[in-house]
Amino acid sequence: MKTTTLLLILVCAISWSAQAQEAAEGGTGKTIRALEHAWVAAQSRNDNRALNQIFDNSLVYVEYGRLLSKSEYLARVRTENPLPQQVVMEPMMVRAFGTTAIAVGTYTERGMKNGKPFARHWRFVDTWVYKDGAWKLVAAGAAPIMR
Amino acid sequence: MRALTLAVSLACAGIPTGYAQQTADSDAGTKIMALENLWGQASAVKDLKSLNAIFDDAFVYVDPNGRLMTKAELLADVKESPALQFIARAMVVHLHGDTAIITGTYQLKGLERGKPFVRHGRFVDTWRYKNGSWLAIASLSTPIGN
Repeated sequence: MKTTTLLLILVCAISWSAQAQEAAEGGTGKTIRALEHAWVAAQSRNDNRALNQIFDNSLVYVEYGRLLSKSEYLARVRTENPLPQQVVMEPMMVRAFGTTAIAVGTYTERGMKNGKPFARHWRFVDTWVYKDGAWKLVAAGAAPIMR
Repeated sequence: MRALTLAVSLACAGIPTGYAQQTADSDAGTKIMALENLWGQASAVKDLKSLNAIFDDAFVYVDPNGRLMTKAELLADVKESPALQFIARAMVVHLHGDTAIITGTYQLKGLERGKPFVRHGRFVDTWRYKNGSWLAIASLSTPIGN
């Protein structure tokens, strides 16, 4: 019973903290958060058209020490099987600097590799720039979290 | 002496200069690359004063182990770091008005528990032109070859 109460308090505290953070970030934070989720959703269905709109043409993406351009990233998405894995976004922080916004957060990637389930935990830093009336992703990087 | 050289270099690279510019200029790419080199040198000699001038107060850093650090946490980490040399290579700058993205690779050499080590990685950094200076606002490094 005590454990359940503690868990409930913890869940409420986390939820309140996330809401307070979002309120402090204002409209930009809300927009960027929505775009981050749109990116994950588009990628999960191999929707390169949607990704093409989210990504700036000069996008640079760094992961596992590799550097990918927008076209290389989209080509990779094109060749992946749809929904081979599940990406669960966790609470993120958005910092706005005028027409630039930095999103920092974590996500968990779950899937199957060689018939075995795997789960990887990542931390990302994404840079968004407001241009031509829309926020565009200009840089993104992710590093696996070592436990 | 090294700290003095860095301070002079920082001044030349655009950290509060006499001819205050209101917008990023055509030399921005060169200046940002110079600042990246200074960042590496300042880290190696633990020149926290120069690093403090390079990073925006809201700076965020994700290290190769996926750890998230604030400016204060990174400065404290540099103080304890076993790194002795940091060399940035293959840098490419993309300008988006007053924001710049720079990617590159790095080689880090140091001594850990008396043993030398060499690590290679790739970084992606974001810089913002603010009050006549370029300041780093975000950075992520990942190891190469893992």
